[in-house]
Amino acid sequence: MDCSHILLADDEKMITDYLAPILERAGYSVTVTSDGQTTLRKVSELHPDLIVLDVLMPGMDGREVCRQLRAVDNWIPVIMLTCVNETVDKVLSLEEGADDYLCKPFDPQELIARIKAVLRRRQASTSSKTISQASRLQAGDLILDRCARWVEVGGQAVELTPKALALLEYLMLNPEQVFTREQLMDAVWGWSHAVASRAVDVRIAELRHALGDDPEECKYIETVIGVGYHFVAQVEIAGG
Amino acid sequence: MRLKISKSIQVGLLFLPLLLGLALAIALQVISGNNPVIRFQARADLGTLALIGGSLLTFILLGGWTVRGVHNRSLKRSLATVLSETTLARRRFLGRLDHELRNSLTALHSTLGYLHGTSNEIDISRGLNDISVQVSRLRSLVIDLRKLADLEEQAIERQPVDIGELLKDVLETIQVHPDYNERQVRLTLLQSPWQLSPVQGDGALLSLACYNLLDNALKFSQVGDNVEVRAFEVDNWLVIEVADNGPGIPENDLPYIFEELYRGSNARGQPGSGLGLALVQTIVRRHGGTVTVRSRSGQGTVLTLRLPLGL
Repeated sequence: MDCSHILLADDEKMITDYLAPILERAGYSVTVTSDGQTTLRKVSELHPDLIVLDVLMPGMDGREVCRQLRAVDNWIPVIMLTCVNETVDKVLSLEEGADDYLCKPFDPQELIARIKAVLRRRQASTSSKTISQASRLQAGDLILDRCARWVEVGGQAVELTPKALALLEYLMLNPEQVFTREQLMDAVWGWSHAVASRAVDVRIAELRHALGDDPEECKYIETVIGVGYHFVAQVEIAGG
Repeated sequence: MRLKISKSIQVGLLFLPLLLGLALAIALQVISGNNPVIRFQARADLGTLALIGGSLLTFILLGGWTVRGVHNRSLKRSLATVLSETTLARRRFLGRLDHELRNSLTALHSTLGYLHGTSNEIDISRGLNDISVQVSRLRSLVIDLRKLADLEEQAIERQPVDIGELLKDVLETIQVHPDYNERQVRLTLLQSPWQLSPVQGDGALLSLACYNLLDNALKFSQVGDNVEVRAFEVDNWLVIEVADNGPGIPENDLPYIFEELYRGSNARGQPGSGLGLALVQTIVRRHGGTVTVRSRSGQGTVLTLRLPLGL
């Protein structure tokens, strides 16, 4: 049983009243707050393992809470609950400082899956930052500069379309996690539909071609037959 | 353009008497030179000339001001028409949204009321299932409304899209549609003298637009009906047609079918959020194209997408 401590910050009582027991049933201990100031105070008092942070709260909003935490070098994992379906390149921007996001309305089971994934990433990270907070990621000889939107393989610059780059970024931020095409579409395109999932295949093909990755003996992106894709190489925070 | 023409006609009419007078004066002057009977002479001192000049200027300014007034009033009338159309469309949309929300909320209220008064496990399970259905419906509605709003603002990706391949994928995906096996679905792509040119755009969004058209054709046709998907080029446009020989769309519904949440009189009871064609129209417009409909009662419907080539 996982005993991680979750700080659930949302001003909508109808949501926290039901979400908190669901998270407790999943094995977490939960503290609920309903505004930005209290959330910041509880973080320093209770040192939770993760914050589920609503963007729209009275007074100080969730984005400001996150910025203030990062400004004092507090890298506690944050899952942001947004109301606007923003795509990964916008929401996981370094300025934002969140580790993941979920768009309302969401399925509580999806939130639990995200919490598990973010906590796993935190435990795997050797530094105080997780990879989602780093500006440069490295996997073998592949380097992704998230700020400059730049990719290189073996010192050579690689040209990618914006969607392919966002897809690579999302896969590298969640290594070892297998995603369905629909999940990747939701995260990178901001919406999903069975008819459009081929768009994911097209971008994966573009990435493989650009990175020189052979699907038969893949170094980076593996196809999981009947499921989707995952990033197989070990991802680290790159220097420089 | 229409305004410009009417404005120049108005200017012409205003100055017509003056021009006629001038022409007559010149003609008389010319004729009087050789004709001893008719003699016309114009003499005036500087003061009179200044007075005539001033009167002429005032006359011109007055004419210009009148024309501008007419022009502005006409512009204001056009703007007022557009605004009132927008207001009406907005009112229609809010009315439909209200209707959709009320239906779902009434169903939820009724189910909850029913659940409060029962301890039968089968009834509870059925009630929870119905709540889950209504919640999914509301969720889809919110997601689709947001998708529409996002589409208006987000930049559209411009990559070459092979429409032939795209349509083949759409037909493959839609094979699981509950009505697919009861219709005769055919795809015809322009093959000669050349293959279809690629369209610059967002393949995922264009797939969704074509899927929605085909989904509609399957939903609103009947067992054994034909559903044809055709793609060809006309001038610098790639044209996609989705045609069916189903019952057609009632004439009264035709002007509104692309509006958000509009449900035609023969669409009641059909699944869907009522946003499918609104999404198609927004996607196509953001690609610089158009979508139009032709329908004949009892004969069928054709929806036509036109996408610009070579942009």
